[in-house]
Amino acid sequence: MSNSKKITVKRLVIFLILAFFPFYIIVPVMWSYFGEPIFVSENPDAAVANYCVGVFGMMIPSIAHIITRLVTKEGFKNTYLGLNTKGKMGYFAASVIAPLAYSSLTVFLIWALYMNDISFGDTFNNVNMQSIGLLMLQLGYSVICFFPAFGEEWGWRGYMMPKLMELMPKPVAVIVGGVIWGLWHAPLTVAGHNFGVDYPGYPFVGIGMMCLMCTVMNAFLTLITEKTKSVYPAAFTHALNNNLGMGIMFSLFSNEEAMQRLEGLSAIETFLPFIGTIGVVVGIVCIILLMKKDKPKEESLEKAA
Amino acid sequence: MSGLLYKNFYVNRASFIFSLITQAVCSLVIILMLIFTGGKELNEDVVRETIFVFTLVYYLGSMLPAMASGEVFRTDEGKPACAFVMSSPAGAKGHVESKYYYILIVNLAILFMGFLTDVFSTAMTGGMISLTLVLVLIFCWRLLVSAVEIPFMIRFGSDHGMQIKGAVVASVLMLGVIYFLFGDISWMLDAEDPIKGIMDMLQNGNTVFFIGLFPFISVAAYYLSCKLSVRIFRKGAENYEQ
Repeated sequence: MSNSKKITVKRLVIFLILAFFPFYIIVPVMWSYFGEPIFVSENPDAAVANYCVGVFGMMIPSIAHIITRLVTKEGFKNTYLGLNTKGKMGYFAASVIAPLAYSSLTVFLIWALYMNDISFGDTFNNVNMQSIGLLMLQLGYSVICFFPAFGEEWGWRGYMMPKLMELMPKPVAVIVGGVIWGLWHAPLTVAGHNFGVDYPGYPFVGIGMMCLMCTVMNAFLTLITEKTKSVYPAAFTHALNNNLGMGIMFSLFSNEEAMQRLEGLSAIETFLPFIGTIGVVVGIVCIILLMKKDKPKEESLEKAA
Repeated sequence: MSGLLYKNFYVNRASFIFSLITQAVCSLVIILMLIFTGGKELNEDVVRETIFVFTLVYYLGSMLPAMASGEVFRTDEGKPACAFVMSSPAGAKGHVESKYYYILIVNLAILFMGFLTDVFSTAMTGGMISLTLVLVLIFCWRLLVSAVEIPFMIRFGSDHGMQIKGAVVASVLMLGVIYFLFGDISWMLDAEDPIKGIMDMLQNGNTVFFIGLFPFISVAAYYLSCKLSVRIFRKGAENYEQ
C-alpha cells in the first residue's frame, strides 16, 4: 500500500470513529433511561428526545468531517462546498425530480401489490386543492430539512465516499459506503426507527434492509455529488427523501380504507417495494453511469502512458 | 465567483455579524419566554398566542438583513468599481450573482438559527409549539422582497431602490388596510378570538393551496430577478454618479 493510501485509510478510520461513536453511545443511554426502544415509545418525552436526536444526530457526520480535517491537518481543499452549476444543472434538477419520482412510483407499487382490489381512482380519491397545497407546503418545508440533510451529506458524500473511491473501484466503494452508512443507522434501527420492533428477524432484518436501502441511495447520491463536485444536490435529495417519502404522499391523497390497510402492513412490507424501486431503477443505473463516465479518463491516461 | 462572494462577506461583515446577533437575541428571547412560562399549562389558547408572538419575534429577527441589503449594493456603487467588475473574468454576471448568493446565504444563516431555536422550543414544549413552517414562509417572503427590490437597486442605485421598495411595502400595507376597512372579514369577526380566526382561515383548502404555492413563487421570482439584474446591470452602472 502506497503512503498516500495509508494516510487516506488513517483519515477514513478517524472520520468513521468520530461519526459512529455518538449514536452508539447516545441511543443505548436513552433506551436505558426510558426503559424501552425509544422510537416506539409512547412516552411524550421520548418523542421529543427522538426529534432532537434525529435533528442533531444528522449533523454528526459533518462535525466528524471538520474534526478529521483539523486533526489530520488535511486542510480544507476539495470540500465539495462549491455550487458548480455550470453545465451541471441537469444533476441539480435530477436531485429534486428523482426522489419525487421514486416516491410516486413507490406509492403506485404499494397500491399495485397490496390494494389492487380497489381501483386506483378510488384509492387516491382525495386529490383536491387542500391536499395538493399540503404536498407543495411539504415540498417547501424541505428547505428546513435541508440543514440536517446537509449535515449527513457533507460527511458521507463530501468526505467518506471520495476517500473510499481513492481506495477501491467505484462500484465497490458505493457498496461499501452504503453498508457503512446503513450500519451507522443501526442503533436507530434497533431502537425502532423506520421499521419498528415488531417484524420477523428483528433487529437483523431491519439492519440488513437499512444497509440495502442506504447502498442503493448511496449510488444515486454519490453519482450526483461526483458529477457536480458539490454536496448540495445530494443534500436536496436527502432532504426530500426524508421529508416527502411514500408515507406522506400516500396519506395526502388516499382514502381512509387505503390508509388503514397501509397501517396494517408491516414496515418491512412497505419498505420492500420502496427499496425495490430505488434499487432497480435508480441504484443500478447510477452505478453504470458512475462507471461510464470514467472511460474517457482511463483511455486518456492509457494514451498518456 | 467564490472570490467575489468572499469580498461581499468581508466588506459587509459588520452587517452580517449584526444580523446574526439580532437573530441570536430573538432566539434567546424565545427560549427565555419558554423558560419563564415553563410552569404554565399549554392549552390550545396559550399555544395559539405563543405561536403568534413567536412568529412576530422570528419576523423581527429576519428584518435586519433585509434592511441591510441596500448596503450590499452601496459598497460597489460608482463607475470605477463597476468598470473594474465588468473587466474581471467573472464579469457583470458574476458580480450580480455573487450579490444574490450573498443575500441568500445570509437569509439561510438566519433560517438555520431560527431552525435550531425551533428545535429547542419544540423540545421544551413537548412538541406542542413548532414553527418550522412559519420559518420557511418568512424565509420565502424575504426572498420575494429581495427579488423585487434588487433589480431596482441595480438599475437606479441603492438609495432609489430602497425608496421604491418602501413604496411597494407601503402599497401592500395600504391594500391590507383597505381590505380590513372595507373587505369581508367575517371569518375574523365571527371567531371568538381573532388569532383563531386567522388560523382557521389559513387551514381552509384554497388558502392552503396558495400558501403551498408561495415558496415556489418566491424561489422562481428570486431566480428570475437574478437573471433580470444581470441584464440591466450595465445600464444601471452608466447612471452612477462617480
